[in-house]
Amino acid sequence: MSPAERSQRWRASLLWAWALSVVVFMYLPALCLLLASSTASRYFIFPITRWGFDWWEKTFDSIQIRELFKTSISIALIVTVIAVVIGFFGALAFARYDWKGRSLYQKLVLLPIFFPQSVLGLALLLWFNAIGLPLSWKSAVFAHLVWIVPVVTLVISIQVYSFDPALEEAAFDLGATRWQVMKEVTLPVLFPGLFSGALFAFLLSWGNFPLSLFTTGADTTVPEYLYAKMVAGYTPGVPVLGTVSTITAAVLLLGGYGLITLRRRARLK
Amino acid sequence: MTTRSPVIDLRQITKRFGNFTAVHSIDLSIGEGEFFTIVGPSGSGKTTVLRMLAGLESPTGGDILLRGQRINDVPANRRPTCMVFQSLALFPHRTVGQNIEFPLKIRDVAPEERRKRALQLMAQLRLPESYYGKNVTKCSGGERQRVALARALAYNPDILFFDEPLSAIDYKLRKTLEKELKDIHRETGKTFIYITHSLEEAMVMSDRIGVMRQGRLVQVGTPNEIYTAPNSKFVSEFIGDVNIVPVRLVNGNTLQSDELGAQFVAPPMPSGFAAGHLVVRPESLRIIERREDAENALRGKLYNEYALGSRIQYQVRVGEQVFIVERLRQQALGKQRDSDVLIGWNTADSILVGD
Amino acid sequence: MAEISAHETVSGQLPAAKPAAWRLGPGRANAVPIILFLLIGFAAPLLAVIGYSFMPPRTFGLWQTPTLENYVSVFTGTSYISFLWSLGLGAATVLLLAVICYPVAYGLARVFGRWSTLLTLLFTIPLFVSENVRIYGWILFFIKNGVLLGTFKAWFGVEPESWLFTQGIIVLGMVYVYLPFMLFPMTLGVSMVPKETRDAAFDLGATRWQVFKEVDLPLSMPGIVIGFLLSFVLAVGAIAEAKVLGGQKVIPITHDIEIAFTYSQNWPLGSALAVLLMLVVGALVLLVLRRFDLDTILGRR
Repeated sequence: MSPAERSQRWRASLLWAWALSVVVFMYLPALCLLLASSTASRYFIFPITRWGFDWWEKTFDSIQIRELFKTSISIALIVTVIAVVIGFFGALAFARYDWKGRSLYQKLVLLPIFFPQSVLGLALLLWFNAIGLPLSWKSAVFAHLVWIVPVVTLVISIQVYSFDPALEEAAFDLGATRWQVMKEVTLPVLFPGLFSGALFAFLLSWGNFPLSLFTTGADTTVPEYLYAKMVAGYTPGVPVLGTVSTITAAVLLLGGYGLITLRRRARLK
Repeated sequence: MTTRSPVIDLRQITKRFGNFTAVHSIDLSIGEGEFFTIVGPSGSGKTTVLRMLAGLESPTGGDILLRGQRINDVPANRRPTCMVFQSLALFPHRTVGQNIEFPLKIRDVAPEERRKRALQLMAQLRLPESYYGKNVTKCSGGERQRVALARALAYNPDILFFDEPLSAIDYKLRKTLEKELKDIHRETGKTFIYITHSLEEAMVMSDRIGVMRQGRLVQVGTPNEIYTAPNSKFVSEFIGDVNIVPVRLVNGNTLQSDELGAQFVAPPMPSGFAAGHLVVRPESLRIIERREDAENALRGKLYNEYALGSRIQYQVRVGEQVFIVERLRQQALGKQRDSDVLIGWNTADSILVGD
Repeated sequence: MAEISAHETVSGQLPAAKPAAWRLGPGRANAVPIILFLLIGFAAPLLAVIGYSFMPPRTFGLWQTPTLENYVSVFTGTSYISFLWSLGLGAATVLLLAVICYPVAYGLARVFGRWSTLLTLLFTIPLFVSENVRIYGWILFFIKNGVLLGTFKAWFGVEPESWLFTQGIIVLGMVYVYLPFMLFPMTLGVSMVPKETRDAAFDLGATRWQVFKEVDLPLSMPGIVIGFLLSFVLAVGAIAEAKVLGGQKVIPITHDIEIAFTYSQNWPLGSALAVLLMLVVGALVLLVLRRFDLDTILGRR
């Protein structure tokens, strides 16, 4: 091995070591939650002396928790559907077509992403109050959408950027109607982007706290419940639900991307 | 040309990427001040050879010598060599002047001195002085070429490398730039090592050409040697339109083509030759009146004709095979498609090659 | 059969062009839903906040005589301390993130190859877990008898002071929560530098440091600046880190706003604070975004 190659390899291993330490840093809290959820005692003391999964059972037997899950999942599903539809058209305007005012449009659409969510939640609270809209999980759906639609638009746009408009023109030229072009060419080609967008929408809604806090009214989502419990003092139910959230996100995301990769490979064969 | 002392010596240079061997044990010597071109199809390993010469890639095996000194481990920024990249790799955040001055700035040359040198180079490369403060991304393709070359010359290297810099340029401008490059080579007296996938481009500029195929150097020679005496079917096809007939030796100097069911007289052949390909260039193939007009003849049908400017190309079908014949425009054939024609060539105008 | 009918539509009756007034253009037409939605869901609420900020203190209606009283009390009160804390913590977070993320971004863009996708996913997953849950994990790590101190005690027999409820821990929490927002734009920026351009600089005699300074840094700047902007804005708007990890030792501006809305029931004052925060953030975002062409950053052509 030449000295140049050796120093290159040395640099690469340093980078790897650094990146892996950052990964560990990112997952350290999740690990702590997992540890705390698998202790049998009422309080968390490390190193753990009595292991057990009693708290998992207790948490999932609770009717209240099931209600929370129902609320959170309903909100997330509705947000996903609406966000992907609006985001799809928004992304076409963002990246597919050239039109006057597009550059301004791009920046304005991204503005909500850059906005502090707690302030956005309060602003929505004021707005709902001003127009007399009662607060419930439905108003939370709207609030989530304000932040999630721009994110989804951005995610789909990245896919749209790599979309060759000539494909649509070719289909159109071959006699397809606008609707057929959409159904036969645009949607299938952009599918990976739409799928990522949907995944993002679901997960971001599922994990959202600052927007829910001010807009759910009497209904409660999982993150809100966790926050209330956390502030009130230690309950082993919190680590259990925290671990469940992390694992759900990991499974959905890794599974989703695995699916996309498999689909792509299958098509290339 | 042979009296030149070698500036670069490659000794059994090999490069592997994982399990893939990109370059197989190449031996090559390039003379001081030579314009040497490596030609090959994409994936033949020519870019890898160039990157190893530049120091951007290090060889897995073998040695690179610069005037007799082993330079395998000298990094690119310490070699007296410089490369003009395929993408040109101009710095988009810099002006024309700043791009050309980059290597001087790196060496801490004083600003006035840098500017003087940059303007000199711009004049030499026929870039107007007003371009000094121009944004490089606003320059045309040809201007960008010249800026890239000026930047490389500003480094004042002993050897310049070119990685297909003209491949993205339209035909007419490319022809102009090819000639300009050869003029710059003459003016500077530096060694130029150029790679391209176009043998035509290589022929115009080079003192010598090396042809690469699948990581191996298959033939090295002057443009004339490569053109008149290709040593394989691969090299002969690489030059452009050519007629190739698979043949085997049947006795003494008689060649048999099984596909055409015909026999030809063999030109001088490599020792131990048993089977291979007979190569006849389109300009050596003639349309004749009687069989006796040429030493070898075939009967076929006129399929199509193409005007090539000063010449006309005819396609003649013999059985399944299509032969290409070229004539001057003044000697146009004036025959209908599908009419019978007789084609022929003299044995001295044909070449026998292996695969 | 199909060929014949296709031929008929081509040569037969050509559809009449729609009147010009109806043709919005495909770009604008596709932008309509999201623009309408953001007008109702984003612009209107912001206007409501601005409206409330001019209402008399401690009132809840939006249709009273406007007053500047809230702004006066903001500027004469102690809220500026909270503002400074928010900006200071944000700046510290961004600087730390830049140092932490650049090597990772460099690796993801250039060195890790096919592993990059997996690593990117690993960095993405935490984004989808509620912020406060993840911060809670840090409490379990740092708390007395927690993962860190408990281990320390088991190994060395003594237990040092917990670091919880200090400014340092707040910054750690923010660095942790906003890391992906710095990392991803930065990676995008680093991968925008063409390999040949770096090779060319190196080949022209530049050292590694000079290549970084003259080529890498300026060419990846758009991504880096966007990363700075995103993480700074989010850190300034953060609330949970200071509240949960910092034990309310430091009160950032967002906390002040929340207190105004909840405990003190003074919506107009809270609105005035929110308007000032929005002005700072909005001005920063528009100022920075204006300088960039999003098409080049996001990879068109």
